[in-house]
Order: sequence, then structure tokens, then C-alpha cells
Amino acid sequence: MSRDRLSATFAALADPTRRAILAQLTTGEMTVADLARPFDMSGPAVSKHLKVLETAGLIARGKDAQWRPCRIEPLALKRVDDWLERYRRFWEQSLDRLEDYLHEVQAQEKSKAGKPKRPRKT
Amino acid sequence: MSAAAAPKAPVADFVTSRVVAAPRDLVWKAWTEVERMKQWWGPKGFKVFHAKLDLRPGGEFHYGMKSPDGHDMWGKFVFREISAPSRLVFLSSFSDPDANVTRAPFPGREWPLRMLSTITFAERDGKTEITVRWAPFEATAEEQASFDGMRDSMTGGWGGTFDQLGDYLSKA
Repeated sequence: MSRDRLSATFAALADPTRRAILAQLTTGEMTVADLARPFDMSGPAVSKHLKVLETAGLIARGKDAQWRPCRIEPLALKRVDDWLERYRRFWEQSLDRLEDYLHEVQAQEKSKAGKPKRPRKT
Repeated sequence: MSAAAAPKAPVADFVTSRVVAAPRDLVWKAWTEVERMKQWWGPKGFKVFHAKLDLRPGGEFHYGMKSPDGHDMWGKFVFREISAPSRLVFLSSFSDPDANVTRAPFPGREWPLRMLSTITFAERDGKTEITVRWAPFEATAEEQASFDGMRDSMTGGWGGTFDQLGDYLSKA
């Protein structure tokens, strides 16, 4: 994939509606009307998003002039997905460590608070 | 290619959340005080050995961490919004030791330079719900060109190291 294509891919994915459309398409081919329904959007608005997704190489559309069913491009999506999984894992593991840290730091504070304070020599 | 071959993509879902048993003020401190941040930031087994944090819009958190098999990895956040104790927004990226933005240190270096990350902290009966959202943040054409020029002038010795790190992260 060229650098331009990839920029287009990420620009396409920056929009939550387009991500939701892609998620819908993972269940199978759909027409514009099918896609418009759950999003409470007009046909033209959905078509606009589809155009962006198509340019980005994330979806392909059938030749049938009237229906032009949309389907996902699995390879392009797989590449995006690999990246996102890696990113997600980074965050999940950091949050695991944060949880441990918060647990420890609160336990320490508790045990400190439990001990009588000794006056310091000056 | 059939649609049936499509991966079950969580593409709609650039978000993860976690409820931690700690008051929100403490969680906020853990994210915004450098000595605390050093204690937990990074994947399992990584150790932060360098951290500088300048908490203001436009300021940076720059960190260096060592992977369990001894490789260094650098990265940074550039803060965009700081609303204590409920919301932090920053651009995160990989970087070099001088805090210059770099590409991802593993195969697929053509991936986005920066991710826009939004962290929210909500109180839940004395606990805190942390929600992390992210989205690719595209560089302007100009930034891209200057970045690519810079990258071409860099020495190529990092590739192998970074590939190993990528392997590590994908197995972890």
C-alpha cells in the first residue's frame, strides 16, 4: 500500500461513523439503504462516507448501478486491525500496571497511617 | 475475496476502559506526576528509565523505557487539554532520545505518526473509571515531508532491534 493510500486509510478511520459502518460490514455485504437504517442517516450522507471508505481501500462496491452493494476489503482491514491490536495491548498492559501501582500505593499509605508517629530529633 | 474472510474487526471500538479501586484524585496524580507515572507506564515487564513531564497545554511527557529483553524504546505525549481531575487529551507518538517524533519501532513503520488520545476519569462510588480513547491523527502534508526527509538521513541500525521489539509486543 502506498503512503498516500495509508494516509487516506487513517483519515477514513478517524471518523466514528465510518468505523461503525465498517463494523456493520463485517457481518456481510450491504446496500446503502441497509447501512443508512441503523445510523438514522440519509442515503446521500451514507454515500459520502462510503466514498471515503472506498477511496481508502477499506471497502469495495459492486458494479450493479442501482444497488452497488458494499463489502469490506479484508486485507486492508487486517492491516489496520493488526496495528490497532498492538496499540490496544499497549494500553491494556499499562492499565494493568496502573491498577497494581494504585493498589500498592494505597496499601503503603494505610500501613504508614497505622503506625504512631515518632517525634523527629532536631 | 469474500466478505466471510473478513476479520472480526473491532474497528468501531477505539476505546478501552477500566474501573480501579482508588479515588479519582489519586488516579489523576498517577497520570500527571512524573515520579508516579514512572512506576506504571508501559507494557508488562517494561521499565521506565527516563521521564520528563511538563504538564501544560503544548507541554510534553517524554519517556524512555527498557523492554524485558533489554531494548530501549522512546515515546512522548504532547498535551492538548488538561482538565483536572477528569480529562486529559494528548497526541502520543514514538520518539527518539531527543524527543523528536519517529515512526512506530516495528514492522509497518508506515503507520500513523501520532495518535490522538483522550483519557477520562469518572468517579464511581469511591472507585474511578478510566476510559482511554484513541484515533489516528494525520500529519499535514508538510509535516509528513519534513518527517520523511529527516528519516532518510537517519542511520539504519535500528531496524533489527525494533523488529524484535515488535515481535515482543505482539507476543506479550
